[in-house]
Amino acid sequence: MTMIPMPAHPEMLGPANPPHAPGPSPPLPSPASPAAEIATRLLRRPTGLAGVLIITGFLLAAFAGPHLYPGDPFDVAGLPFSPPGEDLVLGTDYLGRDILAGLLHGARATLTVGAIAALITLVIGVAIGALAGYFGGALGTALMKITEFFQVLPTLLFAMVLVSLFGQTLTVVTLSIGIVSWPPVARLTRAEFLRIRGLDFVKAARAAGAGAPYLILRVILPNAAPPIIVAATLAVGTAILFEGGLSFLGLGDPNVMSWGLMIGQNRAYALDAWWTVALPGAAIFIAVLGVSLLGDAFNDAINPRLRRRT
Amino acid sequence: MLGFVRRLVNAVALLLAVVVLNFTLIQAAPGDPAMVIAGEMGGASQEVLADIRARYGLDRSKGEQLVTYVTKVAHGDFGYSFYFNRPVAALILQRLPATLLLVLTSLFAAVLVGAWLGILCARNPDGALSQIVSVFAIAGYAAPVFWTGLMLLVLFASVWPVLPVGGMSDLASPKSGLALVTDIARHLVLPAATLAIVYVAQYSRLTRTSMIEVLGADYVRTARAKGLPELVVVYKHALRNALIPLVTVVGLQFGQVLAGAVLVETVFAWPGLGRLVFDSILRRDYPTLLGVLFFSALVVLAANLVTDLVYRLIDPRIRTAGSGVS
Amino acid sequence: MSSDPVLVLDDLSIALATISGEVPVVEHLSFSVAQGSTIALVGESGCGKSMTALAIMNLLPQGFRCSGGRILFEGEDLVAATPSRRRALRGNRMSMIFQEPMTALNPVFTVGEQIAEALRAHQNLGRRAAAARALDMLRAVQIPAAENRIKAYPHQLSGGMRQRVMIAIALACRPKLLIADEPTTALDVTVQAQVFDLLARLQEEMSTAIILITHDLGAVADIADDVAVLYAGRCIEQGATRVVMEQPLHPYTAGLMVCVPHLQPGVMAARHRLLAEIPGMVPPLGQRPTICAFSDRCTRVGNDCLSEPQPPLFTLAPTQAVACLHPLQRETTA
Repeated sequence: MTMIPMPAHPEMLGPANPPHAPGPSPPLPSPASPAAEIATRLLRRPTGLAGVLIITGFLLAAFAGPHLYPGDPFDVAGLPFSPPGEDLVLGTDYLGRDILAGLLHGARATLTVGAIAALITLVIGVAIGALAGYFGGALGTALMKITEFFQVLPTLLFAMVLVSLFGQTLTVVTLSIGIVSWPPVARLTRAEFLRIRGLDFVKAARAAGAGAPYLILRVILPNAAPPIIVAATLAVGTAILFEGGLSFLGLGDPNVMSWGLMIGQNRAYALDAWWTVALPGAAIFIAVLGVSLLGDAFNDAINPRLRRRT
Repeated sequence: MLGFVRRLVNAVALLLAVVVLNFTLIQAAPGDPAMVIAGEMGGASQEVLADIRARYGLDRSKGEQLVTYVTKVAHGDFGYSFYFNRPVAALILQRLPATLLLVLTSLFAAVLVGAWLGILCARNPDGALSQIVSVFAIAGYAAPVFWTGLMLLVLFASVWPVLPVGGMSDLASPKSGLALVTDIARHLVLPAATLAIVYVAQYSRLTRTSMIEVLGADYVRTARAKGLPELVVVYKHALRNALIPLVTVVGLQFGQVLAGAVLVETVFAWPGLGRLVFDSILRRDYPTLLGVLFFSALVVLAANLVTDLVYRLIDPRIRTAGSGVS
Repeated sequence: MSSDPVLVLDDLSIALATISGEVPVVEHLSFSVAQGSTIALVGESGCGKSMTALAIMNLLPQGFRCSGGRILFEGEDLVAATPSRRRALRGNRMSMIFQEPMTALNPVFTVGEQIAEALRAHQNLGRRAAAARALDMLRAVQIPAAENRIKAYPHQLSGGMRQRVMIAIALACRPKLLIADEPTTALDVTVQAQVFDLLARLQEEMSTAIILITHDLGAVADIADDVAVLYAGRCIEQGATRVVMEQPLHPYTAGLMVCVPHLQPGVMAARHRLLAEIPGMVPPLGQRPTICAFSDRCTRVGNDCLSEPQPPLFTLAPTQAVACLHPLQRETTA
């Protein structure tokens, strides 16, 4: 490589390396807590706002509805197949039951099952994923084999088998949904743990003497939380759809009114009384939509670099 | 090649685990295992129950019972359905083709339409189509598949009756040859479309993201710098790389698609495994249910292996891993 | 062999569309490249060198556009040409190689296919003829065992070899102009020298004009005939390499030369113990003043520098032009 010619004007630099202040920079805005910042970003997006509103609406309907609009949804409230607006606000089904009452009570069952099943999924999935990701080795391989096994069985079929064997109660339904849905969460958690485990601040904590439980729960998990939270919202949506499917097929708790049950029982009459299946289905649709929008907006809120705008 | 063989062995091991699971479920369920095996339908008589106990060795130790059970499965004996009055294996094999037809058609359509939409959106990420597809993607996921099916059924049965809404073929006037194929195809449209909608939404979104990322890659810039026409850049250089995540997802989701098929078959009275499952549940025909569980696991594993093969075809890095040279 | 320049940039300006309007990226850039010669574009990151290259190739990213001036390639104004005309030229009469060889090749196609593709697209060769020419190109860029390597996939080759493949692709159609955008920055030092040697040799064989974009002044001194120094999107000095590097006229250029670390402690230790730097920072995009952009960091700044707009390039010597109101004095040779 040619030698760069000797500089002709070394004095160009002025006094040799004076310490220079880079000049005043604009003052940084004082940082709010990360959670508050994410929450604000979330609500500012139209999808996030819509999601929050929808979910709040459903929660209100579920818990306040039956008080404001009392009436056992299993009671006969009018003539069968009366269309919406005629007698009752949303009409009646094939047995003459009030559809609006069914929707309101069904909200409670569906949302409860959805939330608790998602929670079970989350707990199992995160536990297995965290252990597999943190310890690796034989334990990790074994746990991943178990995960793979659960993924091979189609979730709905497996849940159907469980419910028909162990009884059609709300508890069994919720547990079944939770038990068959955890593999994707476990995979995600494991991937995140593997990634974060190699980062410098974890090594630093370990060097400072932190033990495994502390590292897993207080160091790695909080950093792995964002994608897991997104997965959790998805899990709620999936659980709601799952519960709807099971009830539709007649495998839900027959003593609890749920939207899937309404659709399944009125299926044969769909051609004549479209509202008996359209309305409960729309309820499921909007509920899952709300949860999905929220999850989506949350995903965007924690990942602002995804929104590149050149 | 070795990698593939390893996966094959893995698949067989998993299948074995499913069989063990079935056995465990029979034992763990409340009640007499003999009753479970007989199925609660038809009030199995004492002789039948005694016969079952003898054949499955239910009075022996659990270990011996497991061996007996596994041996039976290995010989193709999945039990007997007292409701349908046929061996379970024969019952399932009779219904399996219809389900496979539905699932494969739906997936094929979903991949074609979804990928194509995704590519269009990726070429114009901020355009109107992109927004519509995004909304459609979320809506497609949120709508329960059985509800969409019912709505389509109502639409095509009463409002716009151009397609048949139930069954696989016209039982009233059976056809043969090409006419039969057309008849089945016409009956296939609605159920396949219902099942496909969920996945079109998802695949178009996935392809869009993947394509956008690939279109920003250095090698695409190189392709443009070579002066290649834009269509060649997109469909030859970018697409193959962008499809890799899609293949992964399709392969992983096969189990879910089967589950969706169960629901769709119920709505449209499509004579596949889904109907079988539905009827078996009503009658508590456990042997059939467990048999379906096994066979669906088998199908899922087969799908995983096929996905792996397709992977190796598309991505030479996997094919030639380990033969690097400097 | 015509003596007309292959490429002439005439007052080229490039702008970027932002929310608050258009922001200049490159301003009034002019230089020319003669056939078979090499010009180096040097400057700090963000000074607009890569954008200039992309503008010549019509590969500007979304939001960027040529806001003024002409790009004359063999006499034809490219700015006024249709996109399909520019595509016909791209990879054919003019081509470009990029910085990151590790990611610049498509992982799912063999390297032979990627070379042959360029040939088939522009020169209408059939499959077999293109494959044969691709093999020739691989040999020309000195890849050992070319017959085997032609069927290899990019991930099976090292970084240096991938860059050679990139050069093979770029030169397959024997272009008149090759733009090399930091071709060796991502490579090991030993490989860097090999790549430059290869480029010099191929240039001699094919009489290709080369625009070398780099911040490696050693490479500039080595292979560039001319150099243009950019600062904040504006060319502040230009001329024959030897002259500009030995006797820089612009304070910034002089500062650059001094900043290069010298590995002969005995010679320099007496005067400079620490690494040199030019204090201050380049004005960010969108905040460039109309006065000289370097004025806030210049030790020779005068009152006229702060009140008058940045002067254009004017020729102070036969092979040297500078855009400065207070250029350094040339040492007259005895």
